[in-house]
Amino acid sequence: MSEAKCILLVEDNADDAALTLRAFKRSHVMNTIALARDGIEALDFLFSRGAHEHRAGEPLPTMVILDLKLPKLDGLGVLKAIRDDARTRLLPVVILTSSKEEQDLISGYSLGANSYVRKPVDFNEFLEAVKVLGIYWLMMNQNPPERAGP
Amino acid sequence: MKISTKGRVAATTAFLTIALVAGMIWWANDEVGDANERRRETTDLARGLTELRLVTFEYMLHRHERPREQERRVHERLERLIADSPLAGDAQIEALGTLRRRNQEAHRLFLELAATPSVEGTSAKQAEAIRRFEAQVSSRLLILQQESLADAFFLTDFSTERINAAQQRVVLVIIAGLSLNALIAGAATWFIRRDVLSPIARLQQATREVASGDLDYQLHNDSDDEIGETARNFDAMTHSLRTSFRQIERSNQELAALNQEIEAFSYSVSHDLRAPLRSMDGFSLALLEDYGDKLDAEAKDSLQRVRAASQRMGRLIDELLGLSRVTRTELKRGPVNLSEVAREIAESLGHQSPQRHVEWRIEEGMTVHADKSLMQIALQNLLENAWKFTGKTEQAVIRIGMRVVDGAKACFVADNGVGFDMTYADRLFGAFQRLHHENEFSGTGIGLATVQRIIRRHEGKVWVEALPGQGATFFFSLKEPVP
Repeated sequence: MSEAKCILLVEDNADDAALTLRAFKRSHVMNTIALARDGIEALDFLFSRGAHEHRAGEPLPTMVILDLKLPKLDGLGVLKAIRDDARTRLLPVVILTSSKEEQDLISGYSLGANSYVRKPVDFNEFLEAVKVLGIYWLMMNQNPPERAGP
Repeated sequence: MKISTKGRVAATTAFLTIALVAGMIWWANDEVGDANERRRETTDLARGLTELRLVTFEYMLHRHERPREQERRVHERLERLIADSPLAGDAQIEALGTLRRRNQEAHRLFLELAATPSVEGTSAKQAEAIRRFEAQVSSRLLILQQESLADAFFLTDFSTERINAAQQRVVLVIIAGLSLNALIAGAATWFIRRDVLSPIARLQQATREVASGDLDYQLHNDSDDEIGETARNFDAMTHSLRTSFRQIERSNQELAALNQEIEAFSYSVSHDLRAPLRSMDGFSLALLEDYGDKLDAEAKDSLQRVRAASQRMGRLIDELLGLSRVTRTELKRGPVNLSEVAREIAESLGHQSPQRHVEWRIEEGMTVHADKSLMQIALQNLLENAWKFTGKTEQAVIRIGMRVVDGAKACFVADNGVGFDMTYADRLFGAFQRLHHENEFSGTGIGLATVQRIIRRHEGKVWVEALPGQGATFFFSLKEPVP
């Protein structure tokens, strides 16, 4: 696992995507970051299909950062698809969203989200959150063993 | 027929029956009285006859003038009694006639006896003839008197019989009257059961059914009396209840739909309104970080202002959502230890600003019956307020306790901070109302509006006492505090 694998960021808002990338950069997260702009694209990336057919055989991202409010398939739908598939069942998924609604939190955790981070308006606070995320999920946490490709 | 009409008919019938029976008893009693009078008269007759007999004996023995005179008076009295007797009926009139004839005959014989010359001074033969004549007259007289007495007793017996007959009639009339009344009472009971008690029982059953929630229950009573009308009114009432109930159900559905819309709206606000703010703050910071060396102080200040404004709007959105959530969430009452909640909030405020020294005086054992999460929000706002407005006080003291105000328990949060002029106190609990400038004390002006909503949802009230420069005390009382 010497080579840093990529992180999949699922985010439809270009500004939020740019800010998240900036936060990762400033937190010294060196992994490449792949961007999916809706739920279907995220699943295509993970399961190497559609526009991402060429990824077949490539390893899964080290973690998925998932927005909840997405076009086509929303974040909770993506999470459910990830947990329903044997290949991605153990993939770390962090929900990153504006929503503070209790219902979203409960559904997120009950569908198997590993973490739930709220996007604060203050970028410095966001930076702190991303730093903690990076440290926990990319450095401290030992990922589950890679499974054989499909 | 109406029940009141039936009642009147029954009452009239009963009254008439009673009047009839009373009349008959009165009449029969009159008969008894009349018969008694007759018997008394016949008894007088018998007594007179007995007296006459005694007088006759006395005269026969002594031949005095006094018994003669007495005989005349008694005879005349008897004549009058017989003449005045109101006795009717063939047998009686015949008996009376016989009595009268015998009486007159007896009187005549008495006069004959009285007219008999004395034996004194007569020859033995003449005396013998006189005595024989006297004996003949006397014996006839006595026989006549004996027969008259028998006639009188016959009349007395007859009167007694009449009395008995009249008394029997009284008994019969009483028995007949009582039977008739019993019959009327029985009929009345049957009618009351059929027309009053059974319909009332059905009405009772119907009220029970409706009370237990069956609004479709109908009586369908078509009788034209008062209960029938009540039953029809009852059916009309359940009908209008059903209509109202359906309207309420519809309104409730509309309200639920509306509530869902508000939920969706709040979700959008929470999610979408914050995104542009993040961009504003984030890219302003990016500019400051990446091009800080190329910007002068004014440009940096402007960017800081953009950031501050974005963050403030973020807080506003959060607090408005909080305010709306306070109104929307379901109230779950239970025992809440306010002392404990206050201590936790005080501790976390202390952690956030460790440089500040505030003396907390929290009364022990303050328990209320309320929604715990809402009371936490309310206390959080009140304590944050007190914390904020004692920020410029040298020896800040915040007291939380309970006190009896106007006979009810009220909780209070008192501080010795900047306070305010009570003139503006009523504006304090409106959303976005502030009594201080933003640059003096930061805040959105939603905190106290949230507190007021929470207290109102608990059917309580919140009020404040304050003096400029001397601090403020916020009070709140809840309905149904658990002692």
